[in-house]
Amino acid sequence: MHNTAFFLGKGGVGKTTLSCAFALALARNGKKVLIASLDPAHNLGDALKTSLNGEPKQVEPNLDALEVDLAHWVDTYLDESRAQLKATYSYNLTLNLDSFFGILKYSPGTEEYAMLWAIEDIHCRLAPSYDFVVFDTPPTALSLRFLSLPAISGLWVAELTKLREKILQRRQTITRLNPESPVAASCVDKSDDKVYGKLGSIRARLSALGALFSKQSFLSVIVNPDNLSVLEALRIKEELSRLGIPLSAVCVNKQGVSDAAWEQTAELGHLPQFSYNFSRAGISTRDELTAIGAESLMRYFLEEGKKK
Amino acid sequence: MSTQFSKVLKAVVKTFTQINREKATGMLDFELKELENIFALLILGGFVGLPSPPSPIAMELLPYMERELTILLARTDLSQDPLGVLTGMLEID
Repeated sequence: MHNTAFFLGKGGVGKTTLSCAFALALARNGKKVLIASLDPAHNLGDALKTSLNGEPKQVEPNLDALEVDLAHWVDTYLDESRAQLKATYSYNLTLNLDSFFGILKYSPGTEEYAMLWAIEDIHCRLAPSYDFVVFDTPPTALSLRFLSLPAISGLWVAELTKLREKILQRRQTITRLNPESPVAASCVDKSDDKVYGKLGSIRARLSALGALFSKQSFLSVIVNPDNLSVLEALRIKEELSRLGIPLSAVCVNKQGVSDAAWEQTAELGHLPQFSYNFSRAGISTRDELTAIGAESLMRYFLEEGKKK
Repeated sequence: MSTQFSKVLKAVVKTFTQINREKATGMLDFELKELENIFALLILGGFVGLPSPPSPIAMELLPYMERELTILLARTDLSQDPLGVLTGMLEID
């Protein structure tokens, strides 16, 4: 069953607005909902007219919200790794390795991983207390990077696991032939080898996240009535298909914002379309968010969820 | 006298067997160290500009790689003359 929804799209198309309207529609129809912002430049709290942090806060009955604190996740993770490293290494090599930690938070990919850990935490720790979780995502580039991480990292982990198996096989052979070899003192069995065990646990975590994105989530792409956002949505769809993640719906937001000609592409045209008119007066309250009319999208989400 | 002789003989046979065992596993040991060195290089390659897994994966594995890191450092010393190491192990003069 779908119990998670992601809203993707080009910057400024209205991801936060529509994800809030969608979450409010679910909540006001009696579902217990958590909405979480993954955007490092959060504005979920602004849209819901409340201040938010990394833990769920009740916005109204049935609706809780949080803004993922990526810096906190990066720091927590690096602290854990540092503690593990200090506990494991017995000589002053640690001093040299420890100096890397200060710069690792700026290492490419760390922020995307922090986002994955945050999603995992929400999925495993918080989601069981709710009927549905709605994610407001950052603009396309960052979203695609974290959505693709389970698949890409999975390839690395699979190759490293194969190499590790080869190493353990060689160690076993040497130990059998020469029990007094120093190799015999190292780990020779898969069950004893901590590196092999760690690779297994990383693979399990990545598989669970991959399954969450590809099988248990409803992914909706948002476009505006302009060709640029449509072309970007098309690229999102192509990239997601490569990763085996299906798109569930297209939301055309800000209908009537301009008279410029635009065209929905055939590749997106076959997906269920949901239209939302541009509000000239602006949207400043939660009731105005509800007035956008996300009920039809919500009904489709609930029906699709039952089919799964 | 015969007990003493038997003890010496046992020790000689044991040493001889161990020498043969060391010889038999020498090649495998070399291959194992190479594999462990490659594993460590793959994990830590990012630090020296080699293609490597995403750094958070490396970070998770690093605390358990003491043996591989030691081999990596030892291999660095030998990297000036890899052919010499190989020919030495194969007993080629």
